[in-house]
Amino acid sequence: MLDAMEQLINGLLYGALYALIGGGFSILFGVMRRFNMAYGSTIMAAAYVSLIPFTRFQAPAVVMVLAGVAMAVLVGLLVEFCCFRFIQKGHELAPLMTTIGALIVITEAIIHATDAVGLRYPSPFGEESLEVGRFLIRPDYLAVAVVGLVCFLVIFWIIHRTRLGLAMRAVAERPEAAQILGVNLRTVNTLTFVLTSALAGVIGFFAAVTVGSARPDLGVFATGKGLVVMVLGGLGSLPGAIAGGLLLGIVEFQATWFLGATFRDIVAFLILFAILVFRPSGLLGSRPH
Amino acid sequence: MRLDARIIMVALLVAVLALPGWALAFQNEGTLRIGGMWALSGGAAFFGKSSLGLATLAMDEINEAGGVKVDGKAVKLTMAAQDDACNAEQGLAAVRRLASVDKVLFSLGPTCSSVAEPVFGTLQKKLGDTSDTGLQLLFFTDTATKFGLAKLSPWVFRNTPDEPGMYDFIVGYLKEKHPELKTVMVSYESDFAHSSATWKGALEPALKKHGHHQVTEVVDWRWQDTEMGAQVTKLRKASADVYFSLTHTISTCASMKEMKRQRVRPKMIVGITSLAGTEVLINCPDVAEGIISPSNFAPITPRAKQIADKAWDKYKADSNIHSVPAYENVHLVKSLIEKAAIKNTEESLLDDRRKVRDQLAAVGSFQGVLGKITMRPESDAVKPRDVDKDMLLVQIKSSKWTVFWAPPSLQQK
Repeated sequence: MLDAMEQLINGLLYGALYALIGGGFSILFGVMRRFNMAYGSTIMAAAYVSLIPFTRFQAPAVVMVLAGVAMAVLVGLLVEFCCFRFIQKGHELAPLMTTIGALIVITEAIIHATDAVGLRYPSPFGEESLEVGRFLIRPDYLAVAVVGLVCFLVIFWIIHRTRLGLAMRAVAERPEAAQILGVNLRTVNTLTFVLTSALAGVIGFFAAVTVGSARPDLGVFATGKGLVVMVLGGLGSLPGAIAGGLLLGIVEFQATWFLGATFRDIVAFLILFAILVFRPSGLLGSRPH
Repeated sequence: MRLDARIIMVALLVAVLALPGWALAFQNEGTLRIGGMWALSGGAAFFGKSSLGLATLAMDEINEAGGVKVDGKAVKLTMAAQDDACNAEQGLAAVRRLASVDKVLFSLGPTCSSVAEPVFGTLQKKLGDTSDTGLQLLFFTDTATKFGLAKLSPWVFRNTPDEPGMYDFIVGYLKEKHPELKTVMVSYESDFAHSSATWKGALEPALKKHGHHQVTEVVDWRWQDTEMGAQVTKLRKASADVYFSLTHTISTCASMKEMKRQRVRPKMIVGITSLAGTEVLINCPDVAEGIISPSNFAPITPRAKQIADKAWDKYKADSNIHSVPAYENVHLVKSLIEKAAIKNTEESLLDDRRKVRDQLAAVGSFQGVLGKITMRPESDAVKPRDVDKDMLLVQIKSSKWTVFWAPPSLQQK
């Protein structure tokens, strides 16, 4: 029982990483009503670049995160320019394909550049688990949960307390009406990309820290998990992404503990299937009128 | 005007796609086509690219020495390498391309057993059977290691590790030298044919045969998994003396880090054959310190060191248990081609493949980089067309692979 509790705690903490990834997907979808499948590759690019200050100058974690954020914003803007900006209205599915293309291109570029060998990542939060009572808790998972909380607080503040957030919510609800009221759609879309890409920079660093290396498959992993979390929580719902991410983390850890690794995805996708059947709008998504 | 532009674009695309077909040539252009399909992208690309590098190095050496004598004429080797990305569908497309478009004499690879299985299934099942429309393409595999793959077609030969033999040796060695180590825990990758076959087809039978060790825990994860906290907790509970980590580098590094976090400290750790390369030293030399791995290759002779250095300098290719056989295979086939009296024309391609195949079937023993390698005959009941070769145990010490145990024949060198 204690072991299952330990898995529950670790699952919850690891779920914070899923929640962050799903959050990035959800904000973009919420505002633009389009999928960005290249979001995972933005995370991966950030993971690789944030390693540079460490390998070159033994820079501290904060500098690594900032380098990752800078790279992620650059990649995000590139994806926005190449995969979204010139897609005409009425072709909402086109970015799905263009961003899948971007995901593949960026992943393969990194494979060619690194010969698909993962690059070692430092463990700034220590290499041994913390003993909390009778439980062993991973310090990096704890850090992910704390940083996740901070990131979501900042994002909620931006969305609900700033002019940009107001514009984002207006565009998300009624883009045409927002445009009539003077909101510049392109600017809002671009700034949404900047915001979610900055989040991807933070995710990239923490994802690589928990994995222990920067690897080319990180992009596909993040895209897969992000989509599941977004659908689980409700398309475009940020609170839904948080709930979905935490739930996915818990389910995966419990399924692995009780049933084995081969059942992990089966159980996770069965739950996703059940939610889609009985609550198509997701856990916290708004029901269609 | 716009239509013209589109037509030009399509024409250019067609030309580019067709390029590899006419870029290679037969004897009348002074070349002989050989092929290879490996995982050159995706998670197993490290191994695929290493094999391609070592095969290309062998080809360079042959070409620099004048090429291959075919029909009294020296021809140069050219390589058509296809990327299967360790993906079965991509592998099936690659084998058809090698056979029909690239028209290679034989193929090296593939990297992954999960690709080799369906690919070898498309080859002819019985030699000379005109009703069998399977591909008649000789494969001389360097990497795909799952036990029994060469049985799938008489066109398949392998220079790959004999894992049942290796783990049988290790279990016997532990029983004899370390009888105090009695409990065993195991991890393997349930979605990686090589890993699960090493557990179910090599280690588990060996443990049963020797009857000395008690298996206290067996856990599995996927080969690209990086989160295995739950499984390592089970290993922590089992707290066995010996830990067999039958997993590849990515999940090995992640699991060893998790073991360190959870303070799991078995007295001895034995890895999978594929671990014995540079990849693990790049990824996690600290947590992998002390792991012992069975191998057929380590740069322990001057020649082996020279090849390893050359492959790295020229192609950044890692010389390891899987890539060095690609080097050996190219050199062996070169000598067989010269014996086989092939014509090396487009018309004679099927006959040429059959002649080289028959030569390989009759090769018996040949010289490998470290020592003698013996190809088992086609009539062998256990593993026809697979090789027997010296094995050694290597161990990571101070972030380097060192020899833990070597047979007397290799120790003398």
